[in-house]
Amino acid sequence: MVVRERTTRVDLAVELCGLQLHTPLIPASGTLAKEALGEVEGVYGAMLPKTTTPRPRAGNPPPRIAETPAGMVNSIGLQNPGVEQFLKDLDAFDVGVPLFISVAGDTVDEFVALCERISSDERISGIELNLSCPNVEHGGLTFCAGPASVEEVVAACRAVVREKPISAKLTNEGAVENARAAEAAGADALTVINTVPALTIDARARKVLVRGGLSGPAIKPIALRAVYEVSRAVNVPILGSGGVASGQDVAEFMLAGATAVQIGTTSFVREPHTILEEFAGFLRDTGMSAAELIGALR
Amino acid sequence: MRFYPVDIEERRELGGYTLLSYRWPDGSVQPGQFVMARVAGYPVTLDPFLARPFSFYDHDGEVASLLFEVRGRGTALLDRAPERIEVSAPLGHGFDIGANGTPAALLGGGIGVAPLKILSRHLTARNVRHDIFLGFAEARFAAVAAEFPGSKVATVDGSEGTRGTVLDAVPDLDRYGAVYACGPNPMLAAVKRVAGEDSVCQLSVEERMGCGNGSCNGCVVPVRDGGYVRSCIEGPVFRAEVLAW
Ligand SMILES: Cc1cc2nc3c(=O)[nH]c(=O)nc-3n(C[C@H](O)[C@H](O)[C@H](O)COP(=O)(O)OP(=O)(O)OC[C@H]3O[C@@H](n4cnc5c(N)ncnc54)[C@H](O)[C@@H]3O)c2cc1C
Ligand SMILES: Cc1cc2nc3c(=O)[nH]c(=O)nc-3n(C[C@H](O)[C@H](O)[C@H](O)COP(=O)(O)O)c2cc1C
Ligand code: FES
Repeated sequence: MVVRERTTRVDLAVELCGLQLHTPLIPASGTLAKEALGEVEGVYGAMLPKTTTPRPRAGNPPPRIAETPAGMVNSIGLQNPGVEQFLKDLDAFDVGVPLFISVAGDTVDEFVALCERISSDERISGIELNLSCPNVEHGGLTFCAGPASVEEVVAACRAVVREKPISAKLTNEGAVENARAAEAAGADALTVINTVPALTIDARARKVLVRGGLSGPAIKPIALRAVYEVSRAVNVPILGSGGVASGQDVAEFMLAGATAVQIGTTSFVREPHTILEEFAGFLRDTGMSAAELIGALR
Repeated sequence: MRFYPVDIEERRELGGYTLLSYRWPDGSVQPGQFVMARVAGYPVTLDPFLARPFSFYDHDGEVASLLFEVRGRGTALLDRAPERIEVSAPLGHGFDIGANGTPAALLGGGIGVAPLKILSRHLTARNVRHDIFLGFAEARFAAVAAEFPGSKVATVDGSEGTRGTVLDAVPDLDRYGAVYACGPNPMLAAVKRVAGEDSVCQLSVEERMGCGNGSCNGCVVPVRDGGYVRSCIEGPVFRAEVLAW
């Protein structure tokens, strides 16, 4: 997208795994409902709906969210209608930009089956593997608990998805090692990071309120560091995620090495459009294009 | 989520609650719909970070008002807000007042009184006969009942009206063809149990909200058919029989 900001033209386009994105912004999985798509028209260079699983998942009982300073802790539990219903509803997200699908399974076989099920769908441009869900065959450790597990699941998915890019979504813990393993197993990109394990307590009730993942501006410096380190360890493009709240944040993630940047929790309290405008303003001020910004730290 | 800065037109103490009014001439508001509201957004307020949901107390086509109880930091800030706050557009599915039996009973528990004002206005416009029952913890809050002429009041401490909960103020709930209720979830579950089997019973639920526009899946309630649905999109008003309470 070329935004005419006063008199200067600003080039927001980036290339991600051979796909042309008219802006480097992508919604973070699980943070943009189809009901809210009208509010973000034209903002995102690619779409990415909530993670889908082989069967419907009810998700966790409430309370599922708790506010924290500059963020929130969530424990949604991957509530989703299952892949078959998901595909029936998918047209809403097919808005003329590349469409990534986030998948998660309980086992490697389930990841593979999901990849096979969706990879021939013509609406879909790429797949994001949500590796922060528990692997029931490994005592509930997540798929990104270590490089061996990352390598196994990414290689298995790669074997059945030949034509479309795969991004492995990693958590902060072990990000660099896991990133190397994912790249070695054939991942075309890496999404860095997911939420950070966190807990809130209601002291008066002496109860755990929410045990889940922290997101929002509170985790931005953590995510930024992970993107920075991973980008130095691998050659594949990075989709930065974690606490992005402003155009300046987008610039920081791209300078740290991200090719595209995901907006999650902040979209609940700010219009993503504003973030894009701020980012365009940053580019205008610096005279750089979005693509030139990637990894361009001095 | 898109927020609109609005100037506060009026601020008034109503018993233990605060009424805030602002101009909202754009479009209609259905009884039971809500807004996400806050004093300011990022980066002015990183803490509290999220906006808070509030039912419309009233909307006359030009001016909208919210009635709120100070519970924690978000509401304390709104209570002290200088001239301006930020609100979303009206959200959610409100009360269905189209196809209901008569007479109607409106039940409010505590701050659950909020959506009953606009609901009563709409029912009156349709000539639907209705009685209003309000329950409060103590007399300090019950002062808001003056805004609902003819309403019957209960207080838990017995300092005003009937002693007990709002249900103790309703002699015969099963006589009503339609029941509309808003209040703490345990009260709503009790209303559901007591309402007549043939009456149309609608409940406005209260869950924590993250986004208000369906995106976070944080605000869910359990439903009879299994699983959960989002109260900000499918609700906050539900037919009682839909809920698994
Ligand atoms: C659809 C809807 C309509 C509402 N309408 C009104 C209204 O018209 N007037 C009004 O005063 N309030 C209303 N509420 C409740 C209001 O949103 C909460 O009181 C408010 O979010 C509290 O914010 P706080 O920052 O003051 O409190 P916090 O500091 O967030 O919390 C204070 C206390 O309130 C509890 N709490 C916080 N949020 C909620 C919640 N959503 N549900 C239950 N408990 C909660 C916390 O556990 C804590 O004990 C409504 C809620 C919903 C979901
Ligand atoms: C309510 C909520 C739901 C989420 N659901 C998913 C999900 O289904 N799949 C996934 O990979 N990540 C999910 N995430 C994580 C986000 O995609 C993102 O990686 C994380 O929140 C950090 O970015 P942020 O700070 O911009 O939100 C969710 C986050 C939130 C807050
Ligand atoms: S508040 Fe986010 S889905 Fe309802």
